[in-house]
Amino acid sequence: MNLLELVFRNSFRKKTRFTLTCLSVVVAFFLLTTLAGIDHALNASVSNSNQYRLMTSHKISITRSLPINYQQKIKALAGVENATYVSWFGGYFQNEKNQLAVMAVDHNTYFDIFDEYKIPAEQLTSWKSTRTGLVISQSIADKYDWQIGDKVPLSSSIWMNKSGSFNWEFIVSAIYQRQDNTTDSKRIFFQHLYFDKARAYARNMTSWLSTQIKTDVDDEQVSKAIDKLFNNSDAATRTTTEQVFIKEQAQQFVDMAMVIKVVLIAVFFTLLLIVCNTMIQVNRERLNETAMMKAIGFSSLSLVKQVYLESLLMLSLGAILGSLLATLTLSQVQLQFADFLPGIAIDPSHYLTVFFLVIGAAGLCSLFPAITIKRLIISETLGARA
Amino acid sequence: MSTLSVAPAKKLNNIILQDINKSYSKGDNNVVVHDKFNLAIKSGDFVAIMGPSGLGKSTLLHLMGGLDRPTSGHVEIGGQRIDELSESKLTRWRADNIGFIFQSHHLLPVLSAQGNVELPLSLTPLNKKQRQQHAANALALVGMADRAHHFPKELSGGQEQRVAIARAIVSDPQILLCDEPTGNLDRKTADEILALLKKLNNDFGKTIVMVTHDLKAAEYASRVINLEEYIALGVEAQGAQIPQEQQSILVGE
Ligand SMILES: Nc1ncnc2c1ncn2[C@@H]1O[C@H](COP(=O)(O)OP(=O)(O)OP(=O)(O)O)[C@@H](O)[C@H]1O
Ligand SMILES: [Mg+2]
Repeated sequence: MNLLELVFRNSFRKKTRFTLTCLSVVVAFFLLTTLAGIDHALNASVSNSNQYRLMTSHKISITRSLPINYQQKIKALAGVENATYVSWFGGYFQNEKNQLAVMAVDHNTYFDIFDEYKIPAEQLTSWKSTRTGLVISQSIADKYDWQIGDKVPLSSSIWMNKSGSFNWEFIVSAIYQRQDNTTDSKRIFFQHLYFDKARAYARNMTSWLSTQIKTDVDDEQVSKAIDKLFNNSDAATRTTTEQVFIKEQAQQFVDMAMVIKVVLIAVFFTLLLIVCNTMIQVNRERLNETAMMKAIGFSSLSLVKQVYLESLLMLSLGAILGSLLATLTLSQVQLQFADFLPGIAIDPSHYLTVFFLVIGAAGLCSLFPAITIKRLIISETLGARA
Repeated sequence: MSTLSVAPAKKLNNIILQDINKSYSKGDNNVVVHDKFNLAIKSGDFVAIMGPSGLGKSTLLHLMGGLDRPTSGHVEIGGQRIDELSESKLTRWRADNIGFIFQSHHLLPVLSAQGNVELPLSLTPLNKKQRQQHAANALALVGMADRAHHFPKELSGGQEQRVAIARAIVSDPQILLCDEPTGNLDRKTADEILALLKKLNNDFGKTIVMVTHDLKAAEYASRVINLEEYIALGVEAQGAQIPQEQQSILVGE
């Protein structure tokens, strides 16, 4: 018999209560860890953006298009290195379930500005001279077993071509590599020229423009200059850094994450109340035993320590189970969600947070029992006869 | 029973309550339980305290055992003023000097008899093996060796009380304080427990102070204090007894 053994046995004294309380801890830490994984994904796409790139879209909505000739006007501005334009194709392969991020880009400039896509030089050259050429990622090539030279039909849910069909014909011309595993690896590019000539409507228009600024200029000034340029035209613009743009796009996720966070705090608070309440209840039930141990010569401190260890045992068990379960779930979900929320991962530092949360929560849960133990008058407690 | 012999170095543990005032105040109400109370108990004595309910018998035991403090007055045990000790020192002192036996045994239900008896030893520097040995000895002494691995719920009331006695004596305290130790037991079982206490007093020299309502239990004691009469003797008579007794105690009779 030693004191740890006593703590252990006391913990499992009421198995149902222990299990139920422990389960609430499991749920709380499961949610906490899951959210940490999603949070990681949301932040990942933001940090991948480039600080020297600006994003210009229609002032009213990203869904409205802008004239392609804005590119030349922006290029002429001071502080601008290069500018390109992109149209959203919104494609899928065969089935709407196989969503792909297909974009029509200006083949002359796009990959100069977005140099994070590593494309072999000869493939890039070949793509530039292939009107219906596609640039796809290695992961897509692997997934659909597409090779260079393959004819690939892609469908758009937005764009009809001149033959009145939503099905477009392409040829795989280049495959790019990326080190990171983000949304970007889902991207497929083709020539805006082909897009413009073949689509049934909205000729000479583009979804948005990307501007690369010189490294020594203030992004805000250039943004303002761009927007001023088109202020009085039919299509006024709104320009921000790419980072801000991605953040705004992700805002719906961020808002969701915010809601989850609030819920999580509530769950955590409830958890604290549950465990706290359990410990108070446990302590009250054992008041006689506590008084006896005090009479025998156990100090209040050593008795409080036992309560703390008991809370710690319950919380750690729940936290370990919950975090483990979430980690396993995320590693499964990660593959299935890779399409629209890639980068789900748990930072190792998260487990450190869990560790400190458990230690802190155990402390909080021992607080009220500690006060009771400290104030307990042995003669009164043992004197009160059953 | 080597571990339960009175260590020769242990000095006599006389119990002296001097000019004790004990009152409880709750709001405007002030309940005076003891007023200018004096009592001396010789080391190695077996004293039974009797008297009507509510007279303050348990309170006296709590004062002697350092579970409670007098409102004023001295509590001196083995020459030490325990009413002056700090809370933590008093806790430590209890572990070393006092064994408590209550009407309800308050055994921990999650521990076996052996585990319960080992409990006080976790406060000592003894190692695991020694603790087990000492606990086994104590259990053997109270006749519970064969029940060492049974849990309290598997024991009868008398057996539980025996285990509680083993727990009280396992760290070899000089003084045993018993508050109605046979209150919950039938005559036969009570007699067995009382005989056990008598044995601890006779063979191991434990000082025993026992509160009881049972006249027959009192017969086991070497001195019976009828608290009602004792208090009626008055302050002078009590006070007059002390110096005498103290003297006789101090000269070792
Ligand atoms: N914590 C307390 N607060 C107020 N009064 C108390 C407290 N503890 C004891 N008393 C009072 O002190 C008096 C003596 O109590 P005590 O328990 O010592 O009596 P007792 O002689 O042991 O009685 P019994 O034979 O019923 O056990 C009682 O009147 C009791 O109400
Ligand atoms: Mg009493």
